[in-house]
Amino acid sequence: MAFYTLGLTFELVIILTVIVLAVWIYGIYFNFKKWGLGSTGYHDPLRRSFWLFLATWIHEAFKDGIWVFLRTVVLDVLLLRRTLARSPVRWIMHMSMFYGFLALAALSGLGLMLDIVEHFNLAGYAHEAEIVKEMMALPFDIFGYLLLFGATIAISRRILIKFVRDNTSAYDALLIGAVFLITITGFYAEWMRGNSFLVGNMFEYPIYAPHFALIHTLLALGLFAFILPWSKYIHVIATPMTLIANRGGE
Amino acid sequence: MADNKESKPLLTGYMMSTQLLEVDGCNRCQECMKWCPTFAVRPDRPGITPMYKNARWRELMAKSHSLRAKFFGAKPLNDDEMKVFTEDTYSCTTCGVCGTVCEAGIKTVELWEAMRPNLVARGDGPVGKQSFFPKLVKADRNPYQAKQEDRLCWVPKDIKVQESGDIVYFAGCTAAYRQQALGVATVRILDYLGVPFAMLGKDEWCCASAMVRTGQREVMAEHAVHNVDALKDAGAKNVLFACAGCLRNAAIDWPLWYEGYIPYETMPLSVYLRDRIRKGDVDYKIPLNYSVTYHDPCHNGRHLMHLKGKDWAYEASRDCIKSIPGVKFRDMVRNRALQRCCGAGGGVKAGIPDLALDCAKMRVKDGEEVGAEIIASTCPFCRRNIMDGRNDAKSSIKVLDVVELMAASMGLDMTIPENPYTKFQEQDVLVCGPAECKLDTVERKEPGKDLLPEAH
Repeated sequence: MAFYTLGLTFELVIILTVIVLAVWIYGIYFNFKKWGLGSTGYHDPLRRSFWLFLATWIHEAFKDGIWVFLRTVVLDVLLLRRTLARSPVRWIMHMSMFYGFLALAALSGLGLMLDIVEHFNLAGYAHEAEIVKEMMALPFDIFGYLLLFGATIAISRRILIKFVRDNTSAYDALLIGAVFLITITGFYAEWMRGNSFLVGNMFEYPIYAPHFALIHTLLALGLFAFILPWSKYIHVIATPMTLIANRGGE
Repeated sequence: MADNKESKPLLTGYMMSTQLLEVDGCNRCQECMKWCPTFAVRPDRPGITPMYKNARWRELMAKSHSLRAKFFGAKPLNDDEMKVFTEDTYSCTTCGVCGTVCEAGIKTVELWEAMRPNLVARGDGPVGKQSFFPKLVKADRNPYQAKQEDRLCWVPKDIKVQESGDIVYFAGCTAAYRQQALGVATVRILDYLGVPFAMLGKDEWCCASAMVRTGQREVMAEHAVHNVDALKDAGAKNVLFACAGCLRNAAIDWPLWYEGYIPYETMPLSVYLRDRIRKGDVDYKIPLNYSVTYHDPCHNGRHLMHLKGKDWAYEASRDCIKSIPGVKFRDMVRNRALQRCCGAGGGVKAGIPDLALDCAKMRVKDGEEVGAEIIASTCPFCRRNIMDGRNDAKSSIKVLDVVELMAASMGLDMTIPENPYTKFQEQDVLVCGPAECKLDTVERKEPGKDLLPEAH
């Protein structure tokens, strides 16, 4: 089955990926530079520097030693200890979305690399790359469902709990809505191909599967590169960095 | 809404770069809104909550530092918008409960205290009477326009106060001039325990807490350096504090401004007293047959627990209260790290007094809910503000310091010697006979000429 459609070719996808990555990296650089507008310490002079932001962050992160740094990474960033302390439901939601998103992003990156290996038959591993890609279908499904589960809890909370609903801004709605939409379009593309995990051939419609896959890809890349670094969604990067810099918080 | 084209951009100089990161680290989980004591009494103003303050700082900063600003130039800040943002930023008691519950681990107290000097430098802050702090403190070295020579005027003549020694009692301005019952109870207990203690007298300057809290840092350096040097000169190895505000500043803020080595330990008085209780040195004579609850001061609790541990921050005072015979101790529902702030902190009492009062009334209600007759604390500011809330709510609850409860039960003489500030005293007291103590309130005989409220 053709993966690329609507005039999209392998080369175009590679170019698109490079552009997306470049925009994303510039976005991160831009934010680091903005954070560098602060000082390096309590009543220290201003430096206005990308590098000094990094230096300050590293200094703060390792202030209490490597073990505290590692403990923070494991307990606070990877296991979201502070969220669990406040709300087990929100912890399940965040863990599902966090690991679903991370795993899908990693799998997508790996998929792209395998595409390159397959396309150029690098080191003669084209066939092996194709086999590995087929093996990735199941983890893609599992982590996709995980992300969908988390996004569903997030949307339900925003709709059903009055206090949360009243304090939901357009930004919040857009972010959660976008994540939900990206996940759903991804699933729909997968289901249309037929023989899918859990749903079998219920939604099989292979002709339009590539179109949905394209919509899914464009939405995901758009969110990743053109919205995330340039809006308040930068918290996806900033929150773990804050937790590490503050050694797990107060 | 007026756009002032000449307006300065939002200044960031007093914020560390990792604090600018923290602003972006807020993931809008809304947890802080559930706990914020000022939002609880101003539910129509979500702008005062941490989540919204972070969002607004981002928006204001983006006017000069976004991609759009990079390509098309900075937008001027809107004067009305800045006014609202300033009011919201100063409507925070810096109690730190938001930091305790923050999922992103943002150190909120430090963050608000770093935002405020930027607003002061830009000409937006401080608010209300807060601008009097630096002027008064610079002129008199205390915020009550009192004479430095009178710092020890309340000390009973039979108490021996040394000029130097290992143990120094740092009384603070409020115990010296406005809540002298606390000072008298403290020196009486130390004397009873046979502790040779020193006090700084006229060399004790205001801890300058209110200046740091309200973003007016210019006086801070001078006061921090002076006090640390004075304590070093007095040969202090252990400095005792019966004022949570002074303690927080001495333990956390002064070292940030002092470049040399600080050889002494800062210690809440309750920790020292608990050690002596455990050693069996404290002998109680009169039971206090009252239901008592404990209000954790933010400065002695959440602010201190990272430095000194939760036992010092939360348990020592409770242990002291529980050691008193006859006391029925009950914790309020919100206690320890999740305690509800009394509303006086962060300069709110001086800047936005009606907000402080409403917060205090909430805390009085918390006390009433557990049937307390006495709310005990270890902070003169909390005490003053909760008393004001109690008066406004017409509640019968009394507010006393833990040290005063102990001194009363130990049967110590808590008479305040006549002094130039006796007429300004207004506080709940325990009047004790040979077998029992009764609660009473000393009314102020003469209205003070204070420019700033007692609990600022």
